[in-house]
Amino acid sequence: MDTLLTAEIAANAPRYRRKSSTFIDAIHDVPEDQDMAPAQLYSTMSGRLFHSGRIAIVMVGLPARGKTHICVSMARYLQWLGVKTRIFHLGDYRRATVGPGGTVPEDYFFPNASPQSIILRQKILKKCREDIYAWLNHENGQVAIYDAVNPVASGRRSLAKEFAKHDVQTLFIESFVDDERILLENARNVKISSPDFAGMDPDKAAELYLKRITMKIPMFETMDEKELNFIKMINAGSKFFYNNVSFNYLSHRIVFYLTNLHIKSRTTFFARAGTTTEDEESYKSDAPLSEQGKAYARKMAETLTKHREQEAAEQGKPLRPLSVWTSTRRKTVQTAEVFGEKGYKVRQRSQMSQINPGACERLSERMIRQIYAEEVEKHDLDPYHHRYPRAESYHDLAVRLEPIILELEREQNDLLIIAHESVLRVLYAYLMHCSTMDIPILKFPRDEIIEIIPAAYQNEAKRIHIPGLESSIVPGSPDDIKIPVTVQSIPPSGQASGEASGVTSGITSGQLSPIAGGLGSPAEPATERPPEKVINKAKDMVADKVDDED
Amino acid sequence: MASKAITNGIGVQVEDTKICVVMVGLPARGKSFIAQKAQRYLQWLSIPAQVFNVGNYRRSDAPQPTADFFDMNNTEGERKRRAAAEAAVADMLAWLRSGGVVGILDATNSTKERRKWVLDTCNGHGVEVLFVESKCDDEDLIMANVRDVKTTSPDYKGQDPEKAAQDFRNRIKMYEKIYETIGGDDSEEDEYTYLKLMDVSKQVIINRIQDYLQSRVVYYLMNLHIRPRSIWLSRDDRPLTVWTSTLKRTIATSRFLPSHYNQLQWKALDELDSGVCDGLTYQEIKDRYPDDFAARDEDKYNYRYRGGESYRDVVIRLEPIIMEVERGEDILIVTHQAVLRCIYAYFMKKDHTRSPWMNVPLHTLIKLTPKAYGTVEERWEANIPAVSTWRAKGSTAKHENPTPGSL
Repeated sequence: MDTLLTAEIAANAPRYRRKSSTFIDAIHDVPEDQDMAPAQLYSTMSGRLFHSGRIAIVMVGLPARGKTHICVSMARYLQWLGVKTRIFHLGDYRRATVGPGGTVPEDYFFPNASPQSIILRQKILKKCREDIYAWLNHENGQVAIYDAVNPVASGRRSLAKEFAKHDVQTLFIESFVDDERILLENARNVKISSPDFAGMDPDKAAELYLKRITMKIPMFETMDEKELNFIKMINAGSKFFYNNVSFNYLSHRIVFYLTNLHIKSRTTFFARAGTTTEDEESYKSDAPLSEQGKAYARKMAETLTKHREQEAAEQGKPLRPLSVWTSTRRKTVQTAEVFGEKGYKVRQRSQMSQINPGACERLSERMIRQIYAEEVEKHDLDPYHHRYPRAESYHDLAVRLEPIILELEREQNDLLIIAHESVLRVLYAYLMHCSTMDIPILKFPRDEIIEIIPAAYQNEAKRIHIPGLESSIVPGSPDDIKIPVTVQSIPPSGQASGEASGVTSGITSGQLSPIAGGLGSPAEPATERPPEKVINKAKDMVADKVDDED
Repeated sequence: MASKAITNGIGVQVEDTKICVVMVGLPARGKSFIAQKAQRYLQWLSIPAQVFNVGNYRRSDAPQPTADFFDMNNTEGERKRRAAAEAAVADMLAWLRSGGVVGILDATNSTKERRKWVLDTCNGHGVEVLFVESKCDDEDLIMANVRDVKTTSPDYKGQDPEKAAQDFRNRIKMYEKIYETIGGDDSEEDEYTYLKLMDVSKQVIINRIQDYLQSRVVYYLMNLHIRPRSIWLSRDDRPLTVWTSTLKRTIATSRFLPSHYNQLQWKALDELDSGVCDGLTYQEIKDRYPDDFAARDEDKYNYRYRGGESYRDVVIRLEPIIMEVERGEDILIVTHQAVLRCIYAYFMKKDHTRSPWMNVPLHTLIKLTPKAYGTVEERWEANIPAVSTWRAKGSTAKHENPTPGSL
């Protein structure tokens, strides 16, 4: 093991982080099992999909071109599809090599750098590539995303050759930006918290930062190598150019995803629908909201509006526009009516209807256990993929939600999604990279709005408490399928209480109520109401990366 | 794939995107081929799609015109071609209003002026426009296509092949005089949504994709293999790639194939999972699960076996297979009845009410060759007696023989 690794690097580097909680975006975690692929279409013996072989995706582009954002989003999507993907940020290796507080020499990126700089550069590159080969050759990885500047054509050519020698195909993805507004926006977003620019006008700081990049990395050649496979993403996806020497299914799938990606920073909110008039809620009846449900809708809208105004004021930014998506189910449509009246754009998405409970509709847990004893056993073994008779599994739901996932990436406004808990689980899992073991038991109590804040390195989740709700409507879906909660998945009572975080991977919903759809938030102990803002350390990580030139 | 306008019972309509895919390019660049393929793929995914071929409209007015009809100085020809375009666009808009989702306008649309007219007309009716240009300067490829078109196009039916080819080349020259490629040079067209496929997709430009459905269409078109070797010409000297499912019987079936054939196993080619009914005969299913048996007959495409799969589920998992077939070389697929039905339905454009009922006989080799105007099918029977597992709707017959033409 590299002795230069500090504790901080160990905590941040993709190879060393382990999953801690479903409340933290796990996109950089190293999964210990095969449960991280919610929408996997099929599986193969090798564990690699699409018979695509092993691929290195090599990023190309100067800093402030949104490379990290592209890498992370792409990894999120590929892993969602079941492709074993890992990101290798060269910056992590550089930081590990130069040590905390250290910097690289001035001429580090210069074409005519000093021998010492070249040796340092090669040492850093070597370590990173060794890790890439180790992952592809010995850990059954399929896609390694190599996040670095890769500024010159000759370097890229030899890189492709080197990978080919190891029987790894190379796909270059360049983020090319010549639109000044996008450059400034990127620079402002990522670099604003750097102490170097403290107290400076954000626009001036951004300009200064861009100038520094040009000085530090004087030589950059945009891609034009006809013999290489490359995708050039121009001005944050308004245009794409690609050079296809030997694209495979996965390459096309990546282009497909990238055409839906944008780099504007916006927030996603998740909220439940209100309660309905029917006592025992039915999937088929599609009942309207009860009076209580309407009151919930008003309070939820009030809370959200207040929260957004407050946040905008804190950041000194104007309020971003908000879109609202609901399913076509009556209760979600009616919950959104308050927003419609206020003039927000409300869209209905038919793919977002709740998971189909099939034959389990209107059955109590006891009844299900009685009638479908065998099915309950199967369900316990694989609650994510198992289907009750006539029902959808969570896997079915995830596959059905793929268009929503891509439109979610496409949406430029802040977005509120009002949907059934089952749908929120799957969408949340995509954004926060939860394992398929956790997804069926994520909790979205009605008195919380979940806010997902995107950052280049990883997403953050936050909960906003809706005050003044009757406690009877708070718990997870009374309308949920009464799918029995497995006995094995509930740790001995008391074990997890008091451990607000730090529950290791697997089942993190320690205090899951034995009642299906019990209290709690996404896989956090239910008994403890965490502070209003539960945020992971993404900001700190980004702050750590502000001086990062790749 | 949501498609048709869905009401939710309280009078609110689901927002629907309607797209007109406008083909752009000189004759013999594979436009009709791309248009047909796109239609077939979208329909296979349950998205209503329809090709509107301007040439077909023109033919009703001028069935077999010579090249000078396409001379831009021929005012009569110009008027007729303009009228045909207007009629095709009008029909397409009417079709979109009646529930269509993706209309594909198959014509050369070779000038900026014509494209602007199509764009304005569509936008005026709330329809988004995605231009798809096929640009190609490879002489061999164009000639291969000319040869193909002269034998398949109704414009040259019954004519001397050599004369037809010459006339077609002259027609292309007429178009070359006025042809303007899309976008570039800071033109207004830089704001258009377009996909430009250059040199049979070796290089591609994707410009300003507006929504998910457009990205989906673009994704598919990029996967299309429009190189002459595997699509426009049929060659027999190349080694075959063999795909089987992961089930023993398909692997065993392909064990006597020449060893230099590359063999791949796909989980996605495994037979439709019939859940609790696995291993049961149709009669046993009818006896034990009468409701299911009836429900399956009612809507076989959407019916999902208890604990198993529906045809719709199979289509979803076959997507990577279809994409690979489209991209790839000659392929031999050894797989199971339901899976073959889904793949066959894709190539032969069978709709959902019919495809699950098709007879796919055992011990038969089916060869499908994609052509510009459709897919050509050939069959060879191995003459090995086998028990048919086919049954007609409503029956349970175990040894039923399909009626002729049931496929």
